[in-house]
Amino acid sequence: MSAGFLLIHAKPGRTWTTLLSWTLFALGIALYFYVSQARHRDNPEDRVMPTVTQMARGMFDAALKPAEDDEAQAPATTFTQRFLGSMLWKDTKATSRRFFYSMLLLIPAVLLGLHMGLFPYVGAFFLRFVLFFDKIVALSLLPILFIAFGIDELAKIMLIVIGVTPTIILDTFNLTRAVPAEQTVKAFTLGAGDFDVAYRVVLKQIAPRVLNSIRLNLKAVMLFLFAGEMIASTDGLAYRIALLRRHMGMDVIIPYVLWVAMLLFLVDFGMRLLNRQLHPWFRES
Amino acid sequence: MIRIDNVAVSYGTPPRPVLEAIDLRIEEGEFVCVLGQTGCGKSTLLRLVLGCEQPQTGRILVDGREHRQPDRTRGYVPQKYSLFPDKTVLDNITFGPEVSEFSLFGRLTPSFYRRRREFREEAFEYLRRTGLRKEDARKYPDQLSGGMQQRVAIAQALMTRPRILLMDEAFSALDPGTRKDMQRLIRELWRATGTTILFVTHNTQEALRLGTRVIVLAKESPDQGSRVMLDLSVPEPCHESDLPHLVHRLESVSEGTRPEVGQAPRFAGPFRISPAC
Repeated sequence: MSAGFLLIHAKPGRTWTTLLSWTLFALGIALYFYVSQARHRDNPEDRVMPTVTQMARGMFDAALKPAEDDEAQAPATTFTQRFLGSMLWKDTKATSRRFFYSMLLLIPAVLLGLHMGLFPYVGAFFLRFVLFFDKIVALSLLPILFIAFGIDELAKIMLIVIGVTPTIILDTFNLTRAVPAEQTVKAFTLGAGDFDVAYRVVLKQIAPRVLNSIRLNLKAVMLFLFAGEMIASTDGLAYRIALLRRHMGMDVIIPYVLWVAMLLFLVDFGMRLLNRQLHPWFRES
Repeated sequence: MIRIDNVAVSYGTPPRPVLEAIDLRIEEGEFVCVLGQTGCGKSTLLRLVLGCEQPQTGRILVDGREHRQPDRTRGYVPQKYSLFPDKTVLDNITFGPEVSEFSLFGRLTPSFYRRRREFREEAFEYLRRTGLRKEDARKYPDQLSGGMQQRVAIAQALMTRPRILLMDEAFSALDPGTRKDMQRLIRELWRATGTTILFVTHNTQEALRLGTRVIVLAKESPDQGSRVMLDLSVPEPCHESDLPHLVHRLESVSEGTRPEVGQAPRFAGPFRISPAC
């Protein structure tokens, strides 16, 4: 301690770093328990801050009890069967499906951005319009979408498309523009055609950065997805959360929120692994 | 082989002239070094020959044809960003023949894989000739030093057997030792392949060591475009002992300072001198 308390030049050890990084988690959990217990002491019927046992029971019901409208089916026996018939699984499946479709719709967005960046006529045709679209607050379009596309899946997926694709298009456009001119000239002098340059040279080298930009936009995708589900849907994780709000079902809402966070983390982590696997030459800087 | 007829280029508004009244004939098999200060338009001249830019007046004929965009008749080695970062050294070298013979979907045919094996064997031959080891073939450009990257870039450009090779400050980012090795290498390859080389550099010594012909571009005054100030043929590589003298003379031309008393009058237009070496 003779050196005094170093600030910028401090070099905390491994143990200290780990310890410090978990402190806020521990504090948060402890605080929750403390407040929740205090509230339950005052009012055993408290529904705002359920205890761990209540949450565990709520989650157990959500994950292993058959979903409401499936009760007519034959009773499931094994753990997997019960899980596959549960509310949690049904909601996760519905949300995942919408998420997957919106991810698929990002592929044309990436290709559009690539062509806009490479082909001047395509850029001239689309750029101003996409820039305009990018400024529209997607959620303000929600009523219009529900009126125009009905309250089906299409409206929800369109919301995600309108909300996220302009960002992805513009990001890809900028990444394409950032590829040094030498690369395209070189490719042409080696006998490549325009589409060889687009797909074999430019797309391949911006791919890891595009994937990273999609990773950064995962949260926006989820935001629009949840907004759509909360307002007009009959299944999905966000629908459940919105539904349980009416019953003050905090014992399920809190685990659901954590479940969503974990799923999103896993998707992001998977994409990071995929990126590293597909592009071993790419070093993040 | 390359004919540059009365070419002028200017950029921006109001137009700022970069090149004016450039007239050059470059014959097959020449090794031409274009020398000049930063901003004198020597890279512009190279881009004109490549076809990336079009002159405002005059025309450029390569093999009797005007070119609107770069193609495989003219190989290109820039100072950097020459290699595709996502491809291994081997794939970088075979890229040329692969895209020349197979379209995007042509890669799906079995004949592609047969041909690729042949390309790869040829690529190893070029690797050897440019002084790279077999183990380097699996590496990515990022894992190579600057000199090695330029070796790969040369091998990559030569794979498609261009008749003209355009090099833009190709060795300027290298340290002096590596630079000398590379100069020796390109000179050897030029002799062996008979490729016409147009080499842009700002380094006078490099130009004199490499070229069979040195062209100096310079401006007479700041508001004029660059012209060919000196067109020097160097039939034999200069002796190291003659270099300082020649370097001094050439630099005085390219910097626009008055040459020593008793020399050719200042800016007498393009003239040919036979150096004493």
